[in-house]
Amino acid sequence: MTSGANGIDVERIGAVDVVTLHGEHDLSTATDVSRRIDSALETASGLAIDLSQTTFIDSAVLRVLITAQERASAQGAGFAIAVADSSGHGVHRLLTLTGLDAKLSTRPSREDAIAAAGAR
Amino acid sequence: METVSERVEIEIAAAAPGVPLVRHALRGLLSGLDVGDEVTADIALAVTEACTNAVVHAYPNGDGQGTIHITAAHVDGALAVTVRDHGGGMAPRVDTPGLGVGLPVIAAIAQSVEIGTPEGGGTEVRMRFALSGPAE
Repeated sequence: MTSGANGIDVERIGAVDVVTLHGEHDLSTATDVSRRIDSALETASGLAIDLSQTTFIDSAVLRVLITAQERASAQGAGFAIAVADSSGHGVHRLLTLTGLDAKLSTRPSREDAIAAAGAR
Repeated sequence: METVSERVEIEIAAAAPGVPLVRHALRGLLSGLDVGDEVTADIALAVTEACTNAVVHAYPNGDGQGTIHITAAHVDGALAVTVRDHGGGMAPRVDTPGLGVGLPVIAAIAQSVEIGTPEGGGTEVRMRFALSGPAE
């Protein structure tokens, strides 16, 4: 997937599945994002969601991320979300406005999120 | 002389694929008005939430049969945006794919937001955004 285009990549790194969201994601892609995350959680012992190349998310995607964190916690899987300086302004803004930056397990880089998701 | 469009009007099918189209049209308008990236991103977020609300709550069947009408106009240094659906209003849904944070997000970004029921039914969300400086 070319950086900048909208898309979803899933990559296994060690025991962690890394779901990378490229570009913009909203109600129109939330079902696909949810499906890829659910699939990853079926086999991985850790899940990292990489938003470092994400330029936009809305509350429909935010709900998917919260559900993913809850599901990972319920099954004892590691979980972390990378929200980096390179993430779009809208990503930071939505997390701050909703107060969910404090509820979601976020890390400042892809590498930090992978390490956190694999630490459990 | 180059003509700068100061108004866009777009009608989308009331289904998820239409939501990003509205955002892209808005960015085009704001780019022509030399609005900063962060203000543009804020407005794109708020209007996306308004359109998502219309798709999810006014047309809960999600069959794309209804339409949503969006207008955005540059008025007195601000951007006035109206999102109107012709569906069943803001009916609550227990199975909503959202978080219930759409309206609070809009309220936090916009200078003002009004929700009305126009003649003929449906719901109209009228938002006004400052175009200079952070939209705090």
